[in-house]
Amino acid sequence: MEERKIAVKTEGLKKEYRLGVISGGTLQRDIQSFWARMRKKEDPNTKVNSERHNKNEKFVALDGINLTVYKGERVGIIGKNGAGKSTLLKLISRITSPTEGSIGINGRVSSMLEVGTGFHGELTGRENIYLNGAILGMSKAEVDSKIDKIIEFSEIEKFIDTPAKRYSSGMYVKLAFSVAAHLDSEIMIMDEVLAVGDLAFQKKCLDKMGDVSREEGRTILYVSHNMDTIRRLCDRCIVLEKGKIIYDGDVEKAILCYEKC
Amino acid sequence: MKEKFDTLITAKKNPFKLNIRETVKYKDLIWLFVQRDFKTKYKQTILGPLWFIIQPLLTTFIFTIVFGQIARLSTDGVPQFLFYLAGNVPWLFFSACLTHTSSTFYSNARLFGKVYFPRIVSPISTVITCFFNFLIQFVMFLLIDIVFILIGASAKITLYALLFPLLILQLGLLGMSVGIIISSLTVKYRDLQVLVGFGVQLLMYLSPVVYSVSSIPNSTLRNIILLNPVTPSIEFLRIGFLGSGSTPWIYLAISFCVTLVLAFFSVVVFNKTERNFIDKI
Repeated sequence: MEERKIAVKTEGLKKEYRLGVISGGTLQRDIQSFWARMRKKEDPNTKVNSERHNKNEKFVALDGINLTVYKGERVGIIGKNGAGKSTLLKLISRITSPTEGSIGINGRVSSMLEVGTGFHGELTGRENIYLNGAILGMSKAEVDSKIDKIIEFSEIEKFIDTPAKRYSSGMYVKLAFSVAAHLDSEIMIMDEVLAVGDLAFQKKCLDKMGDVSREEGRTILYVSHNMDTIRRLCDRCIVLEKGKIIYDGDVEKAILCYEKC
Repeated sequence: MKEKFDTLITAKKNPFKLNIRETVKYKDLIWLFVQRDFKTKYKQTILGPLWFIIQPLLTTFIFTIVFGQIARLSTDGVPQFLFYLAGNVPWLFFSACLTHTSSTFYSNARLFGKVYFPRIVSPISTVITCFFNFLIQFVMFLLIDIVFILIGASAKITLYALLFPLLILQLGLLGMSVGIIISSLTVKYRDLQVLVGFGVQLLMYLSPVVYSVSSIPNSTLRNIILLNPVTPSIEFLRIGFLGSGSTPWIYLAISFCVTLVLAFFSVVVFNKTERNFIDKI
């Protein structure tokens, strides 16, 4: 068997959050904690108010994730709320950094954790395509070469030179998704983005995504609570629970595992 | 890890690293942010881009009344309106760079929380927007300056005017560095953000905007004002475009050194902040 190229690989990935209010709340406490750390002593603020969910209680959102995704795989990530799905995507898309462990990435990553990131209401649809495209990592030349396809895909040709603030929410989503669907990056990260928009458009987007993935060997990491879209798009699925991977493999078995737990 | 990767994300990062190559890749984004800021600023206003020059003209007009006519501060023989305008235009550039970059993390939190691009793109595009703003205002100043010179007012353009690009670079870099440091510190403590608003206003009175350094009677006070890193550049601009005043070169050198140190410091603080700020803001 030929050796498959790795797209994303995580090793011992861990992310901790502190519970309660961030920082000591006062500069004095922060300085105390800092001074204690400098002398390698115990943080004097750790023990205070330990009854309540206090600032120094740690919450482990991701607990040692070892995951290897190969080029061209379409991986669904499922799990209950708070299982760490979004945190994983945030770490891979470099929005925040891990507490421990490392992530290796081959190729350009585009993350769609929200539809229409960076859209500006005062700009027209066309201007927003350029802006949104650039935010997602496209150069102006790339957008130039694709703008006609993007507009056609969005089904809102008529309104493309109207300011986006006058759009209905459906039009907004369609435009935003069209930009994302035409990205050239090797790795696509999507978090629940398809939950919005009508069924027909959802299907159109999924098919488009699946097609590019199959034809160009694009890697997709997709988080959703909608099992139908997972079935339609993915060829591998992992189940997260409490920051750990509890199942990795076949889509149907993963969904079964998720429904049981 | 054993394998080789294009990008490797780890828990620690070198704080002195300025990711220039990656930032250059996003030059189109910088440019689009600048365009967005220009296009949206005066949408649905009647006067539109005229606002760019109305603001400095109005403030200069008020300065002329208050400091020129009422307080009668010396302007080294230069027509008052011209004198205040020459101080006001570069000052507005500096203060805009500072105040606008100082809210980088805070006002972009939503965007930064959803998508990755080198965060430094935001303050850079802000400063470029401020620069174009300034350029428009400066051309206006230059035209007024030339008109005054032609009708025989006591002002002249000297060879020092050639320092213009260097002085503007210093003011922009200084404003951006201080702004970035403030924005990094305000991720946790919002106090500084409150301070910025009126702090900049107060700083204006410690800079030679409505007076000239040569008119300060007390020599200790004069030296303190000269150590303000904004002072030498504004003074040298006046020497260049009005032919008034004189400032020892050493103070210009000091202000450049201070600027470079602050710029270096701001890179370190920014790098440290950008990695995890989204968990803290």
